[in-house]
Amino acid sequence: MSEPLLVLDNIAKNYGAIQALRGISFSIGRGEVVALLGDNGAGKSTLVKIIAGGLEPTSGRMLFEGKEFLAKSPAEAKAAGIETVYQDLSLCTNVDVVANFFMGREITRKVLGVPVLDERAMEAVVAKALANAGTRIPSLRTKVEHLSGGQRQAIELNRFVHWGGKLVLLDEPFAALGVEQTRRGLDMIRQVASQGIGVVIITHIMQQAFQVADRIVVIRQGVVAGDVARNKTSPDAVINMITGETLAGAGPAG
Amino acid sequence: MNPRTRHALELVLDNLVWFMLVFVLVVFSLLIPNYFQLGIFANIIEASSVLGVMSIGLALVIIAGHMDLSVESVAALSAMAVGILFCSSGIGLGVQLHPEWLMVPVSLLLAVLVGGIIGAFNGLLIVRVKMSAFIITLASYIWVRGLVLVVSGGRSAQDLAPAIRWFGIQRLAGLPLTAWIAIACYVIFSLIMAKTPFGRHLVMIGGNETATFRAGIRVNRNLIIAFVLAGAIAGLAGWLLAIRTSGATANLGVGLLFNAFAAVVIGGVSLKGGVGTLPGVYAGVLLLSAINTAINLMGLPANFTQVIHGLLVLAAVLLDAFKQTIRQRLA
Repeated sequence: MSEPLLVLDNIAKNYGAIQALRGISFSIGRGEVVALLGDNGAGKSTLVKIIAGGLEPTSGRMLFEGKEFLAKSPAEAKAAGIETVYQDLSLCTNVDVVANFFMGREITRKVLGVPVLDERAMEAVVAKALANAGTRIPSLRTKVEHLSGGQRQAIELNRFVHWGGKLVLLDEPFAALGVEQTRRGLDMIRQVASQGIGVVIITHIMQQAFQVADRIVVIRQGVVAGDVARNKTSPDAVINMITGETLAGAGPAG
Repeated sequence: MNPRTRHALELVLDNLVWFMLVFVLVVFSLLIPNYFQLGIFANIIEASSVLGVMSIGLALVIIAGHMDLSVESVAALSAMAVGILFCSSGIGLGVQLHPEWLMVPVSLLLAVLVGGIIGAFNGLLIVRVKMSAFIITLASYIWVRGLVLVVSGGRSAQDLAPAIRWFGIQRLAGLPLTAWIAIACYVIFSLIMAKTPFGRHLVMIGGNETATFRAGIRVNRNLIIAFVLAGAIAGLAGWLLAIRTSGATANLGVGLLFNAFAAVVIGGVSLKGGVGTLPGVYAGVLLLSAINTAINLMGLPANFTQVIHGLLVLAAVLLDAFKQTIRQRLA
């Protein structure tokens, strides 16, 4: 395998005396889908926030494309090519679909040297992106507060597919989706990965992990309890890793 | 409901304050003798210029999900700074510049700078120390007013230099230039809020600060700029106030803050942040001014104004809740 996209080396995070992460090491390759599993409070979301620039680790280091990497803010992570979809939706419900899609990356044109929003260009891009993904939203100028939970999540998913980058982190992305939309979401993940983008997906649902992932990483009590290829393990074995009954199948880090 | 009626209804809801303004003007014109005159309407606009400008700054930070209680005191301090330098009697130093017109940009810059510095102070404390905007700006409201008393010794400055006064006297199309300055401010800041990424980001920050941070928007920087703008705009309001009163007194502009809040809320800005537009705020300012004028014309004691303003704010908040229910039905 070529050089991995992201390497986590002994990442630890303490909140005072509490050790949320006690030294996490694993890596993600280009075009690889890694499912991150673990019980509630195992430290999955903390880990995602550290990679995405929302939290700083207490110790440890990361290599992104072979270079030492530490995002001090989500803006830095984004600039490096890391997109994140969070568990609690990251949409501004008080503005319309187009504004949310382009949040922080608006298309502008200069009028007398002042950047002015190019609404028409942005609307065209959003319409195309949503049509490609088969998402139907009545009007792109509707404020997001008037949309259903499923439509909102669809916007977020389409947003990461569109912006892509190099690595995508998904924290429970399908919590509000129905069966059909979830299936489409999983398809989107495969499609993104086939473009050579690394994907980390956190999920609680074993079936989803086995449907979409190339590799399964289990975190338990702040350490990696298992790191196995999907086709070399079974749901039962993974459940045992999550609950801590065995360490069978735990592979080496990196 | 077909999309067209829905669209029309949304349009009415979004611009409700304008319909209220027109309604109030029509009713007053029909019921109050002498109300329907161009001069009266010009007076409504003229009388609302200081409050109007101040409300812009307040609205910006409220839309961004925060608050600035200090705008009134900041305006007073800016007015006092201009008064002390460029007034010729009272505590005025009567500074003369040559050519005379030079006093206009210098005094304006001074007023805006004073406001901007206090705005930066507020913004930095709120963003960096992560303290509540309510407390920080309440403190500024008090200490800045105190500073006005300290520098003036409780006395006043009169007889502002004629070159500066000119803006309050010279008329264009029936309105003094000060009123045109207020209108220009509304046009400029309405465009900034509606058409630029900065304005869009402020609205989104007011809607969901976490989401904007995650999306890589520099939230802190935007918020500090918003507070600097609120202060600078309050400084401009102070400059207009000094022109209007041809000087400055220690208690200049007391009570304006609450009128500004009333105008902002009536104008459809939600105190929760993320909702509201500046043209709406201007309509709110004009509405308050129209009612004041009506009270004056009817010869009611001025004390009634406050009662009516209070009730109007209540009505605005109730109306906002009512609008929310209708919107939810529409969705």
